[in-house]
Amino acid sequence: MNAMLEFNKAFMARRRRGWAAGGLLAMIMGLMVMASTGHALAHAALIKTDPADGAVLAQAPAQFSLTFSEPVSPLVLTLVKPDGTPVALTSFRLSDQTVEIDNRQALKSGTHVLSWRVISADGHPVGGSLLFSIGAPSEPPAVSEAVDWPLRSAIWIGKILLYTGLFLGIGGAFALAWLAGNGRDGQRFVIAAILCGLAAAPMSLGFQGLDALGAPLSHLAQPVVWRTGLGTSFGWTVLAALIAFGLGLLSLAGPRALARTFALAAMAGVGAALAASGHASAAEPQWLTRPMVFLHGVGIAFWAGALAPLGLALKRQAAGAVAFLHRFSLAILPVVAVLAAAGIVLAVIQVQTPSALVGTAYGRLLLIKLALLVFLFTLAAVNRWRLTASAEAGATEVQRRLTRSISVEVLIVLAIFGIAAGWRFTPPPRALAIAAAQPVSVHIHALQAMADLSITPGHAGPVAASMIIMTGDFGPLDAKEVTLVLSKPDSGIEPMKRAATKPGDGTWRVDNLVIPVPGRWTVRIDILVSDFQIVKIEAPVDIRP
Amino acid sequence: MNKYLLTAGALLVLGTNAAFAHITLETQEAAVGSTYKAVLRVPHGCDGKATTAVRVQIPEGVIAVKPMPKPGWTLQTKKGKYEKSYQLYGQAVTDGVKEVDWSGGNLPDEFYDEFVFRATLTADLPVGQKLYFPVVQECGDAAERWIEIPAAGQDEDALETPAPGIKLTPKK
Repeated sequence: MNAMLEFNKAFMARRRRGWAAGGLLAMIMGLMVMASTGHALAHAALIKTDPADGAVLAQAPAQFSLTFSEPVSPLVLTLVKPDGTPVALTSFRLSDQTVEIDNRQALKSGTHVLSWRVISADGHPVGGSLLFSIGAPSEPPAVSEAVDWPLRSAIWIGKILLYTGLFLGIGGAFALAWLAGNGRDGQRFVIAAILCGLAAAPMSLGFQGLDALGAPLSHLAQPVVWRTGLGTSFGWTVLAALIAFGLGLLSLAGPRALARTFALAAMAGVGAALAASGHASAAEPQWLTRPMVFLHGVGIAFWAGALAPLGLALKRQAAGAVAFLHRFSLAILPVVAVLAAAGIVLAVIQVQTPSALVGTAYGRLLLIKLALLVFLFTLAAVNRWRLTASAEAGATEVQRRLTRSISVEVLIVLAIFGIAAGWRFTPPPRALAIAAAQPVSVHIHALQAMADLSITPGHAGPVAASMIIMTGDFGPLDAKEVTLVLSKPDSGIEPMKRAATKPGDGTWRVDNLVIPVPGRWTVRIDILVSDFQIVKIEAPVDIRP
Repeated sequence: MNKYLLTAGALLVLGTNAAFAHITLETQEAAVGSTYKAVLRVPHGCDGKATTAVRVQIPEGVIAVKPMPKPGWTLQTKKGKYEKSYQLYGQAVTDGVKEVDWSGGNLPDEFYDEFVFRATLTADLPVGQKLYFPVVQECGDAAERWIEIPAAGQDEDALETPAPGIKLTPKK
């Protein structure tokens, strides 16, 4: 919130500079008010369902009902049939705290899953599922997360447009203010790009909200979606981007004397917008990744933004075109060096191992991006070292070739934006590695004793188990011995028994344990309470592959 | 005929195996309000190691415990308060033996032995239920704990290391 205030103060100072900023401020304030309401409310809890979870019914019910602890509004209701096909349930009524859902289809016998996701008054999505069977229970169908392609496409296109605004728009405004001299070629293109971004930024916020809530595109009008979107780190990106777009427009349309200041501030906004959210900014160490993302973003904006104004200036053989080209080619080498260095640092942090380049979707996207970059660099290098000198000398034929080459570069840049926007959907190998290292935890509760067991990492292979043993009523239990027994009867794996040791921090540990195969294991903890009393508690635990 | 013999033989082998695996009491039934001679049968050591001590916990309601000494073993008892007072020959008894230990012996895995004590099963013990005598078998630094008591509804045969027990019959 402090950062928000700082932002605001800084913004207040600039307010007098123009109506655009004032309008923006009003918009941001509005979004902030939307985001800050209703924090104190509790989450909704499911109290009662009809049919009850696990019920076996003689015939298909005409309706389902879910009763919650407070009024809710359903986001997604899905019925998964015994064969695994999901059916969206769209016809429902709200009566007080109960959601009544119509079932208009004949259900075949077998086990069905009713999966629900609702939003309670505090804006928190809550989800769950209940199983019921018609006739007799069958193997429960696997509930798979269906990919919402329309929403994905919307998010992707939104991102590309946002990149267009940030890089081609603000980068273009910067090039016009700092490199183009008195030339105004490409100003229309730049303004169009900024307007693109200006439209895409808030829309992206809504898409982000939908994605966070797991809601379909049709719920875009719900305020909670926007509140949720603003609540994510992407909210900061949008905020910074909107400010940057405002400054970019001011540098083009505002007083000529301040154009350079506005353009510079807008460039900083580009870096800030990109550093505020996203996979790369979220990576550790933050002190390194966020500045790297900032530099990478500013570098791209400088390079990509100058292309269109420069190309158009050369094409029209404008008066200042040659000087523009000269300034650009002087500055571009260090900029690209910084841009590439920051990119390499980020790629190393994100991908971690060379095998992940091929083995993960994230890595493959990076490879495609690198291939496009090689092409782009080749073109740029030819432009820089083969064509620039003669173009500066005034060779019109060369200038035409340069223009063509620049337009190809712009197209490649757009393709790279598309690839980079695709990263939104692919967790980086770094995050995958963190996810894989997460422990599985299980709480086993019996009358005489209970245990909190966590197995780290929670996948097959060498693991370590840690247990906290308590009495059945959460009291301390000073066990004499604790033994961990893992078995998997369905795979014919005999119980593996390991005596736990006491490292002295109140836990019991089993190190050097190897879980040979993933799947559902039965874990039993034998607790020797006293010389003559043993308590054995067990529970299933799912080990990831 | 041969088939029947084979089946019977197999059953016999399996049956005796099951009995050999655990420490059990020789007499599996006793009337409440009577004197019971408990004979603990120790069929093997702990995973091949020789047995060096046998310790029995005396359950509540079993009083006047008198263990039988064994040559080569040190006999000790641990005494303590009962949860309630019992009548024995017209006198109130409130404390007595709660644990019997035979220790310092050496019973190789390939030999069999028995450990004996006598006790009075008080008349207030629940008739029709089982009464368990948890046993810890020590073999040097290793131990087998025959102390598992089935929970309500649990099958005793499912237990890995069940405590030896007897069925309580009505007072004669």
